[in-house]
Amino acid sequence: MGGFLLSRVMSLVPILLGTSLVAFFLVRLIPGDPAIALLGLEADPRSIAALRTQLALDQPLVFQYLTWLGRILTGDFGRSIQGGREVFPLLLSALGPTALLSLASILISLAIAVPAGIVAATRRNTMADYGASFAALCGLSMPSFWLGVLLILTFSIYIPILPASGYVSPLLDPLGFLRFLVLPALTLGAALAAATMRMTRATMLEVLRADYVRTARAKGVPARVVVWRHAFRNAQIPIVTLLGIQMGQLLGGVVITETVFSWPGIGKLTVDAIFARDYPVVQGAVLLTATLFVLINLITDVIYTIIDPRVRLA
Amino acid sequence: MTAAAAPFTAFSRGLVGDRRATLGFVLVLIAVVAAVAAQLIAPFDPDAPDFAAVLAPPSLAHLLGTDELGRDVFSRIIFGARVSLFVGFFSVAGALVLGTGLGLVAGYFGGLLGTLIMRVMDVVFAFPSILLALAIAAVLGPSLVNAVLAIAIVNLPVFARIARAQTLVVSQLDFVEAKRALGFGSTNILVRTVMPNMLAPIIVQGSLLFAAAIITESYLSFLGLGAQPPTPTWGNMLRNAIGFLDLAPWLAWFPGAAIFLTVLGFNLLGDALRDIFDPRNG
Repeated sequence: MGGFLLSRVMSLVPILLGTSLVAFFLVRLIPGDPAIALLGLEADPRSIAALRTQLALDQPLVFQYLTWLGRILTGDFGRSIQGGREVFPLLLSALGPTALLSLASILISLAIAVPAGIVAATRRNTMADYGASFAALCGLSMPSFWLGVLLILTFSIYIPILPASGYVSPLLDPLGFLRFLVLPALTLGAALAAATMRMTRATMLEVLRADYVRTARAKGVPARVVVWRHAFRNAQIPIVTLLGIQMGQLLGGVVITETVFSWPGIGKLTVDAIFARDYPVVQGAVLLTATLFVLINLITDVIYTIIDPRVRLA
Repeated sequence: MTAAAAPFTAFSRGLVGDRRATLGFVLVLIAVVAAVAAQLIAPFDPDAPDFAAVLAPPSLAHLLGTDELGRDVFSRIIFGARVSLFVGFFSVAGALVLGTGLGLVAGYFGGLLGTLIMRVMDVVFAFPSILLALAIAAVLGPSLVNAVLAIAIVNLPVFARIARAQTLVVSQLDFVEAKRALGFGSTNILVRTVMPNMLAPIIVQGSLLFAAAIITESYLSFLGLGAQPPTPTWGNMLRNAIGFLDLAPWLAWFPGAAIFLTVLGFNLLGDALRDIFDPRNG
C-alpha cells in the first residue's frame, strides 16, 4: 500500500507543475505589462516598479517562473487588486462554502441516482427503465443555470418558500443555512445525478450478468440480497471512479451555480475576480481549483484500492 | 476500405429504426434550420427595439413575448441558434482535427515526443473544463472567436487520448504490419489505414462534445464572456432574464428551453451512435 501510494503521489508532480505553468502563463498572456495587470490600472508607479522587481520581470522567463513558484509554495499568492487583501486567505475563506455546497449536492445526486440506476438495471426495458434513462439524459442536457433559474422561479417567486439567493454561515444560523442551501444543492446535484444514474445502470447491467450473480440466484439467495450484496458491491468501483471524475464537473458547476445563487464560494470568487480584472485572485483560484481536482482524483484512486484490493495489484 | 465502410452501413441502418435517434435528429435539424435560415424565419429584426411593447408576455403578435427593450424573444432565439451552433461546430471540429492529429502522432511514434504531447494533454485535462474555458476567455477577452478557442482547447485532450489509444491498438494489427513490411511510409499508413479505423469512437465523442460545447458556450455568454451584446445568444438572453424574473419570467423560460432541447438532440444522437458502434452498452 505504501509503495502504491508513493508512486501515485509522485505521478502527480509533473501534472501539478504543468498546472502551475498554465496559471503562470495565464497572467503573462494578458496583453501589456504583467505588473500593471496584477496591480490594476490605477496603481502608482512606485508600487508597479516594486512589483516588477519582486516578479523578476527583468530576468529570463524561466527565472520569473521559478521565483513565482517559490512564492506560491510558501502560500504567497500576492494581493487582491480590490482592497489589497492577501489572496491566499481569501481563497481559503471561500473554500468552506464551496465544500459544503459540493458535499450536499453529491449526497443529493447519490440519493437520486443509485436507486434509480439500480431500478433501471433490474427492470431493464420496462417503462421504469425508459423513464429513468430518459430523465437522466434530460438531466445531462440541462444547462445548470437554467435549472437554477427555474427552481428560483418555482420556489422563490411562484411559491415563495425558499430564498432565491444568499448565504449564512451554518455556525451562525444552521436552519437559515439549510434554507439557502436547498436550491443550489438541488441544481448541482441534479446535474451529477444524471451521469451517476447512467453509470450505475450500465455497471449493474454488466454485473448482473456475472457468473457469481447467477450462482447466488441459483442457490436461492433472495433477489434483494443478490442485488445489493452481490451485484451492487461490485458495481461500486466504477461509481466511485465516476465520482472522482465528476469532481471536475462539480468544481466547474460551482462556478455557475454559485454565481446564480450568490453563494460566496470559490466559483463566485473566480467569476467576480475575472470581471474585476483581479488577476492575482484569478490566478490563485485557477491554481487552487486544479490542484484540488488532481488531489481529489488521487483520493479516489486510493479509495477504490480500499474497496477493491485487486486494483492495487494491477 | 471495408473496415471503414462497415460502421457506416451499420450506422445508417441503426439510425433509421431508433426512436431516440429520430427525436435527436429532429431536434438538431430544427436548430440547424433556425441557424441557417434565421433571416427568413424570424418574424422581427432581433435587435429592433419596440418601446410600445416592452416586456410583453407571449401573445399572437410576439409568440414568446418581448424583452425589456421590446425586442421579440422568438426572433432573438432563432438568431441565437447561429451562435450556439457556430461555436459548437468550430470548437469541436478544431479540437477534433488537432487533438486527433496529436493523438495519432503520440500513439504511432511514441517516444519522447509522444510522452511530451500526452503530458501536456494531461495538464489541460487536470483543469475543470468550464473553469479553464472561463480563464482562457477572460484572458483573451470576451468574444465569439475566443469562446470557440477556449472550448476547443479544453476539448483537445479528449480527442488526443482516444486517438492515441486507438492508434496503439490499430498499429499492432496485422494489416498495418503488412503495409509496413511492404514499405509504405508512416504518413500513408497513418492517413490511409490507422485513421479510418478509429473514426467511430471519434465521431461518437464528437457528437457528445458538440452537446457539451453548446452548454459551455451558454455558460460563457451567461457570464458575459461569449459573443457580446447586441448579438443575441441563448446564454446572454438568460443572463439578461435574471433581472426580470418576477416581472417577465418568459424571458428565462424560452432561451433555456432552446439550449436544453438542442443539447438533448445532440446527446440523443450521440447515444444512439454509441449504441450502434458499441452494442454492448445498450
